[in-house]
Amino acid sequence: MAAGLEYTSFELMAVAGARELKDGEIVAVGLGLPVIASFLAKRTHAPSLTMLFELGVVDPEPIHTGVGLADPRVWYRAKILSSFVDMLGTVLHKGLVDVGFLGGLETDAYGNLNTTLLGDPKGKFRHFVGSGGANDIASCACRTIIIIRHEARKLNEAVSFVTSPGYLRGDGDREAAGLRGGPSRVITDKAIFDFDPESKRMRLVSIHPGATLEDVLANLAFQPIVPGDPPATEPPTAEQIRLIREEIDPEGMYAG
Amino acid sequence: MAKLSTLAEAVASISCEAHVALSGFAITRCTMAFAREVIRQGIRGLTVSQCVGAMDADMLAGAGAVERIVYGGGSLDRFGRLNCVNRGIEEGTLVAEEYSSLSMAFRYLAGSLGLPFIPIRSLRGSDVLRRLQEVASSEIGHVDDPFTGDDWLVLKPLVPDVAVVQVQAADEDGNAWILGPRWDNEEQVKASKRAIVITERLVPTEAIRRAPERTVIPGFRVSHVVHLPFAAHPTSVYRAYDYDADHIRQYANASKTPEGFLKYLDEYVYGVKNHWDYLELVGGMKHLTDLTADPILGY
Repeated sequence: MAAGLEYTSFELMAVAGARELKDGEIVAVGLGLPVIASFLAKRTHAPSLTMLFELGVVDPEPIHTGVGLADPRVWYRAKILSSFVDMLGTVLHKGLVDVGFLGGLETDAYGNLNTTLLGDPKGKFRHFVGSGGANDIASCACRTIIIIRHEARKLNEAVSFVTSPGYLRGDGDREAAGLRGGPSRVITDKAIFDFDPESKRMRLVSIHPGATLEDVLANLAFQPIVPGDPPATEPPTAEQIRLIREEIDPEGMYAG
Repeated sequence: MAKLSTLAEAVASISCEAHVALSGFAITRCTMAFAREVIRQGIRGLTVSQCVGAMDADMLAGAGAVERIVYGGGSLDRFGRLNCVNRGIEEGTLVAEEYSSLSMAFRYLAGSLGLPFIPIRSLRGSDVLRRLQEVASSEIGHVDDPFTGDDWLVLKPLVPDVAVVQVQAADEDGNAWILGPRWDNEEQVKASKRAIVITERLVPTEAIRRAPERTVIPGFRVSHVVHLPFAAHPTSVYRAYDYDADHIRQYANASKTPEGFLKYLDEYVYGVKNHWDYLELVGGMKHLTDLTADPILGY
């Protein structure tokens, strides 16, 4: 870690997420890391970012920890409280959402996400939350950023159920299905990936300080594209860490 | 006909096998008192729909009242999964038509507008669509855009027999306010053949007339108005009361097994005569006062 600055992998991921957001963009967020990333971007390089939550909440400023989107703590001081048709319809479906953050049970070499079930879809499986707005965001946002823990069971060659489409099986498959956009980045607690412009297979962009290439590959269940000698992920600055800890999340609400 | 009803009267208007749209979203504004009364009256074979699966649908599914759920996925937020819905899906005892939030909202929207179908960009290329083509092929189609020739996925409108909506305030005619985000509720009510409004506060029509821009649900769509405080307990109602975290945790834990869930039903549904008994059982006036929302925060 540079200059003795200490930070958690959550903070590094949040800073990496913030770096992906441009001023003036509209961001569809879920709870947790995407909220920190968005607030951090807003307080640094992207003051006119707009954050929206699927059920009809725009630019809230929560002061207490929420247990999910259904918690009124998360809606506090919002500029707009409306509806699915308003948020996911007139904004997302119309094509106005620039970036959507997504997570899940597992993702794969082409950025497809599963939040529905684990096991055999035709046989014995365990069912989880399903889509919610995730499929809509994956289908309609200009680009998506996937946040996921770096574990072999969560990073597979193919997911067992495509809840939210990435590049499907790669190489034009997404366009053939009639979809635009697609995932632009995958941020894990060990590395950052993008997608090869041709094959659409996941490609290593940078390795977080403290992690090694062996570490990154050993905890993946597929072989990503590894171009040359990947650089280290740019670490957070002291100011970014100060903003997260002192202003954005002093209670440690989201860092869990 | 007077619309003001007891909960038991309103629930008795629902026939077995009806399609009921519920206003809950995970753990907020869920139609919990309604669900408990449906279970007590032994109504079964329901189709239940909502954009995001919530605690009201989960309890009904666990009690065997639901044959089919049409929803966009759901949970109890960080309190856990919808154990009863998930168990029904895993064991094949519950027919699940699983969409996304927007595709459900669009199906209600199409129903509310009286459209024959609605095109959507979502679902394409996913296993969500593949699964729906297996279990609900009559609800999904394709059309060519007559202007561009583009191929569009289209969904059939949803027209529930009745929408059941938990609101903060309504008058005797059912003109109702929904404070805070409304998720799918406005489209649900307007898509449905009729609505049952369950309201925390009954206000005079003069109060509605003094702020008519707040009316989300028009009285002319409403068949029954039930005035019942804390009807969403243990879930929250924005600006009225917070969710009861301990009770939801207890439910999430109990519903992990069918036996645990039945014990929960015995205690909190079958074991009480009515909603007032239930409110005493879960802690009474003192506990409910503690849950009452702060007027600035709304929770």
